[in-house]
Amino acid sequence: MSRTRKWSPLAVFGVVAIVFSACGGSATPAPSSQTSAAPPPSVVASAPASVEPYTGLSYPATAIDCAKKPAGYTGEFSSIKAVDRYTVEFDLCAPDVAFLSKLAFATNGIQDADWLAKHAPDKSYVKTTNGTGPYMFKEWVSGDHITLTANPNYWGADKPIAQTLIFKWADTAEKRLQDLQAGNGTADGIDNVAPDDFDTVKNDPNLQLINRDAFTILYLGFNVDKAPWNNEKVRQAIAQGIDRKRINDTFDPPGSEVADYFTPCSVPGGCEGDKWYDYNKDAAIQMLKDANFDFSKTYDLYFRPKVRGYFPNPPGVAQDIQAQFKDLGITLKIHTEDNATYLGNSSKGQYSLFLLGWGGDYPDMTDFVDYHFGTGANGAFGKKFDDITALLTQGASELDATKRLDIYKQANNLIRQHVPMIPLNHAASAVAYLKDVTGAQASPLGNDVFWIVKPGDRTQLVFEQNAETSGLYCGDESDGDSLRNCEQIYDPLYTYAPGKTDVIPNLASCQPNTDGTQWICTLKQGVKFHDGADLDANDVVTSFAVQWDAKHPLHVGNLGTFDYFPALFGGFLNPPAS
Amino acid sequence: MLRYIVRRILLTIPVIFGILTLVFFLGHVLPGDACRAILGERATDAVCAAYNHAHGLDQPIPVQFGNYLAALSHGDLGTSTKSSQSVLDLLIQRLPVTIELGLAAMLFAVPLGIVLGVVSAYKRNSIIDVVTMAGANVGVSIPIFVLGLLLAFIFAILLKGTPFALPPSGRLSPGLTIVPLATSWGLTDWTGIPRGIIEFLSNMYTFNALVTGQWAILGDAIRHLILPAVALGTIPLAIIARITRSSLLDVLGLDYVRTARAKGLTERNVVRRHALPNAMLPVTTIIGLQLGSLFGGAVLTEGVFNLSGVGRAIFEAISSRDFPTVQGFVLVIAIIYLTINLVVDVSYAFLDPRVRLT
Repeated sequence: MSRTRKWSPLAVFGVVAIVFSACGGSATPAPSSQTSAAPPPSVVASAPASVEPYTGLSYPATAIDCAKKPAGYTGEFSSIKAVDRYTVEFDLCAPDVAFLSKLAFATNGIQDADWLAKHAPDKSYVKTTNGTGPYMFKEWVSGDHITLTANPNYWGADKPIAQTLIFKWADTAEKRLQDLQAGNGTADGIDNVAPDDFDTVKNDPNLQLINRDAFTILYLGFNVDKAPWNNEKVRQAIAQGIDRKRINDTFDPPGSEVADYFTPCSVPGGCEGDKWYDYNKDAAIQMLKDANFDFSKTYDLYFRPKVRGYFPNPPGVAQDIQAQFKDLGITLKIHTEDNATYLGNSSKGQYSLFLLGWGGDYPDMTDFVDYHFGTGANGAFGKKFDDITALLTQGASELDATKRLDIYKQANNLIRQHVPMIPLNHAASAVAYLKDVTGAQASPLGNDVFWIVKPGDRTQLVFEQNAETSGLYCGDESDGDSLRNCEQIYDPLYTYAPGKTDVIPNLASCQPNTDGTQWICTLKQGVKFHDGADLDANDVVTSFAVQWDAKHPLHVGNLGTFDYFPALFGGFLNPPAS
Repeated sequence: MLRYIVRRILLTIPVIFGILTLVFFLGHVLPGDACRAILGERATDAVCAAYNHAHGLDQPIPVQFGNYLAALSHGDLGTSTKSSQSVLDLLIQRLPVTIELGLAAMLFAVPLGIVLGVVSAYKRNSIIDVVTMAGANVGVSIPIFVLGLLLAFIFAILLKGTPFALPPSGRLSPGLTIVPLATSWGLTDWTGIPRGIIEFLSNMYTFNALVTGQWAILGDAIRHLILPAVALGTIPLAIIARITRSSLLDVLGLDYVRTARAKGLTERNVVRRHALPNAMLPVTTIIGLQLGSLFGGAVLTEGVFNLSGVGRAIFEAISSRDFPTVQGFVLVIAIIYLTINLVVDVSYAFLDPRVRLT
C-alpha cells in the first residue's frame, strides 16, 4: 500500500503530462532556422578579379604525358590547372565529346577546398556540406530524414521558394503513396509511383502525377560464350521471336516505349541505323530449326525480383518471356537471385540468359553503350565484339557531329547483328505531388530540382524518396537518392536544364580548343559557398583532384569507391591495385 | 540468489559466442557481396576489388572472424560497410526507437490484456467472455503487416481531417526537431560512454521530451507512436488476455479460493486479492517472452510505419551484406533477450515465495 502511495504523484504527473501533450493541439513545425554564420548577400559578377596575388593549383604538379601514361592509368585527364582565380584548364589525352555532359553530373559539384581540408581529420564532410547551391544542410537524423534550408545568398537567378526542404524515405511505393495521401505535411511529393498506382494518383483530386520520360533500357541478355546462345543465328532468331510490344503494353506504365535500339532516341546517335527486328514468330522458329537448335532441353532464365526504374514488373516480364519462348518451342526454367548475388554473378558472365537494365546518367551515347559493349564492359555478355568496341572508342572522341552519328549508326547495326542482348523497352516512371504544389518536374535523368518548386501555401517542402541518403560527399556517392540531395546543395560547372537533358552553363562556361583536348572554363565571379567563402579556380581543381587521384588524402569518403569518376573519365590517377 | 544470477550470467557467455559465430559464418556464406549490393549495376570488378580491400573483405573468412573478435574484445563493434558509420553509433541511434516502440506496445498490451483476461474469467461463458476471446483469436491470427497497413489506411487516410487522424509514418512530423538532451542539460562537452548514454536516452523521443518539457514534441511523438504500438502490441495483447483468463480460471477452482469465498468475501475481492496474484506467474513468463519477441515483430512494424529502429536496420544491413552491422545488432539483441529471460526467472522468486532459485 505504501509503495502505491509513494509512486502515485509521479504516475499522476506522467499521465497528466502525456494527456496534456497529446491534447495540446497539433504541433507546429518550427520555423526554418537561418544559419547565423551565413554571409550577407554577395555582390554577384564583375567583382574585381584579383587584387591580391593568387596561386593557382595544378594537378598533378607535372601533367600526365599522354604518350607515356603511367602504368595502370586509363583515364582521360592529363592535368587540371587553375590558370587564374576564375579560370580552370582541363587538359585531356583525347577529345571527349560528352565532356560538358559529364561535368554536369551530380558527382562533380564543386566543393570548397579549404573547408574540405578543415573537415578531413574527422571525415565530417560525409555528413555535412558546404556548397554553393540553393539549399544549405541543416540536419540529418539517421534513418529518418535530412533537412535543408534555403540559401539566402544563392547566386542563381531562381531563388529557392520553399524555405525548408526535407528529404524522407520509404522503401516501398505503396508506403510512399500512403504518406502522400495522408497529407498534413507528411509528404508533398514522392518518387517512383508504382505503375499500378498511376490511376489511383490520377483519380485522386488532391494529387497530381508527373511522368518521367523514359531514359532507361531493359534488355534480355545473352552470354554469347555459352551454348546454345553462342550461335549468332540462334540469337538473331530469338530477337525476332520476342514480341516486345506485348511486354511493353502489358507491363510498363504509360509513357514507356518499345525499344528499337539499345539507347533511347532522345540521345543523339541512339536511334541511328536499322531498327530492331520485327516480331515474326514463324520466321524465328524456322531460323532456330535451320540452326539445329535443340528444342528438347530446358534452358535457364535469370532475373532478380527487384523493382527498378527500368524494370517495373520483374516477375511479370520474366514469366512473359518464358511464355514467349514456349511459343517458339523452347522451355525455360526461371531462376531468381537476390540483388547482391544477381549483379555479381551477371557481371561475371555466369548467367547464360538474363534480364537486366540501365538507367541513364547523362545524355550521351557513351553512358549507355560504352558501359555495356565498350572496352571496359564487364563479362555479362561474354566475349566482347571487337568491331563494336573499336567503333565505340572512336565515337567517344569524334568531335564532328555528323561523323559521330555515322559511327554510332554502324555500332547500332553491329549490335543488331551480333545480338548480345535484345532491347525490350524504355520504361517510363512517374513522381506524384500534392495538387497545390507547382513547379515540380520529373527529369529523365532523375535530377529533379526543388528550389523552383512551390509547396502551395506552405514554407516547407517534404519529398519522400526511395531510400536513405548514403552520404553527402558527392564524388563518392553512387545512388540516385544521395545524388538528388547533392544537386540541391552543390553546383557543378555545367548542369542539366530542369526536367530536361539539355546541358547548360552553371558555375562556369567552357570552351574547347580546336582538337577538343583542352577545355578552358571561366567561372562566375562573386559566387560564395554557404559558409561565406569565395568560389575560385582552386576549388574546382580540388573537387576533381580528390576524385581523380586514388591516393589523394581526401579520396576517402563514405564508400571510398568514387565509382562514377572512372566511369565518366576513364580511370583514377594512381589506381588501387585490383 | 546471487549465486544463481552470477551462474546464469556466466552461462550466457558461451551462448553469445555461439550466436556470434553462427551469425558471422552464416552471413559470410550468403551468396553476393557487399560492393555489388551497395553500388548496384555500376559496380565494376576493379571498383569492387578496391572496395573489398578497403573493408578487409578480401581476407580469408577465419582471419576476418579473428579480427572481428579481437576488435570486439576491445568493445569495438566495427564499422558499417554501407554507411562507414560506427556500429555503436548506429545502435545508439536505432535501438532507442525500437525500445520506445516495444515499451509503448507493451504499455498497450499488458494492462489491457490482463484486464480483458480477468474480465473474461470473471464473466466466464458470458457474451463478454465470448467476444473477448474471439477478439483475442483474431488478434493472434492477424499478421502484423496487415494490421499495420489497415490501421494506417483507416487513421491516416480515411479519417484524414478528423480529430481521430493519426500519422502513418515516422517519429515526428516533418519540420519538428527535438532538442538533444546533451544540449538541454548543457552536457555537450561530455564524451565517451557517458555521452553515448545521454545520446541513447535522447533518441527516446518521448522520454527526452517528457524530461525536458518539450510538450509539443511529446504530443507529436505519442501521436506517431500510437498506430505502430497498437500494431505491434496486438498479438501480445491477445496472448496475454488468453493466458490470464485460463490461469485465473485454474486458480479460481482451487481450494483456498473456495475457502476465501466461504469466509464471505465478495467475488471481486476474491479475484483481486487472492486469485489474481497467484494467476500472474504464467502471465509474467508470457510477458517476458513477448517482450523478447517484440524485436522480431519490430522488423515488420518498423517497415510498415517507416520507423528507423533496429528491425529495419537489420533488414537493410542483411540486404546490403553489411555484416558488421548485422553482427553488432544481433549481439545486442541477444544480450537483451537473455537479460529479459534472466529478469523473468528472477522475478519468479518475488512473485511466488515457494520458488527458490539455486
